[in-house]
Amino acid sequence: MKHVITTISTLAILAFTVPAFAHFQMIYTPEAALTKGGKIPLALVFTHPFEAGHTMDMGSPEQFFVVRSRGENEPKKTDLLSTLTPINWTSLTNSGKAYETEYTARGGDHVFCLVPAPYFEAGEDAYIQQSTKVIVNVGGEPGAWMEPVGLDCEIVPLCKPYDRWTGNVFQGKVLFKGKPVPNAEIEIEFMNHKPLLDKKAFARQASAVAPQDAFVLQTIFADDNGVFTFGIPKAGWWGFAALGLDPEGSYKGKECSRDAVIWITAVDMK
Amino acid sequence: MKLKVSVLIFAAMVFGFFLTPVCQAHTPLCSCYDNGDGSVTCEGGFSDGSSAAGVEIRVEDGTGKMLINGKMDDDSEFTFKKPAGDYKVAFDAGEGHEITVDGKEITE
Repeated sequence: MKHVITTISTLAILAFTVPAFAHFQMIYTPEAALTKGGKIPLALVFTHPFEAGHTMDMGSPEQFFVVRSRGENEPKKTDLLSTLTPINWTSLTNSGKAYETEYTARGGDHVFCLVPAPYFEAGEDAYIQQSTKVIVNVGGEPGAWMEPVGLDCEIVPLCKPYDRWTGNVFQGKVLFKGKPVPNAEIEIEFMNHKPLLDKKAFARQASAVAPQDAFVLQTIFADDNGVFTFGIPKAGWWGFAALGLDPEGSYKGKECSRDAVIWITAVDMK
Repeated sequence: MKLKVSVLIFAAMVFGFFLTPVCQAHTPLCSCYDNGDGSVTCEGGFSDGSSAAGVEIRVEDGTGKMLINGKMDDDSEFTFKKPAGDYKVAFDAGEGHEITVDGKEITE
């Protein structure tokens, strides 16, 4: 009897100690602020970045494009969907279907945008679809980084997302169909394991240790105007996911959490 | 009289523009790319995002002799035929706002 109780309590503890983690759609490239133009690699991975944990299988993305703008020139949109190559990305615990491509960047801002296929999360009996943005600048000449690109779910940066020093704040505005989302819930994760593009895998080595599970995935809320503020404590890539922006979000008859994700970088002052 | 006042206001605005510290924070930028078809495109601009349309561009050979002279177009771009030998590109947006790009550093 004692044995049975021990087993049951062990199982219960295991069930409750599954680490709090969030799904994050990544668009990864090593540098957000490049000195010179040229070919840049991009990897699209749907994963748990702080722990380099379970990596989900991505379906064929609905949209993947870049909006390039330089100075006062009109922003120009280029479809990149046909350039994507399927790959397998290895996390610390598994491997999942992902995509990669290469893009030739010249001067100014390049807003890369991904609308992935909705992902079925069996544990929640619901779908997740994270529209993701990352902004790469070449040469320091700004463009339209602060303009919405028109995604249904979108985070618009209020600070240049590629010029942050460690310790600066990052501010963004959460939009659903172009309108601010008051009090949107935002989850934040640090890209704690360096993505190794040549190995299509995360580095085993972590750069930060969370003292407790709450620190793996930080949570903040936007204000009444859909604006959120986050002080950046460490250099590297930080992901922000504003959750469930479409109150009627559904896909194939099931609930679908339509989220907006943005990745930004910070650099140490040296 | 009215005209005179507006001229004065305009002059004051122009004067004020040159005195504003924003001006100090605007650095000229110029990057050139080999298009791989025998031509080179230079993209000019400023760190505050302002346009470089109309800014003078000079392409000189290794000895400083001018080969091509032109201006940045409405998109702040200038495309020219790649010179055979050593060359450099000078982006000249006025005193303190000059940039020279060595042809050897111009790649695809």
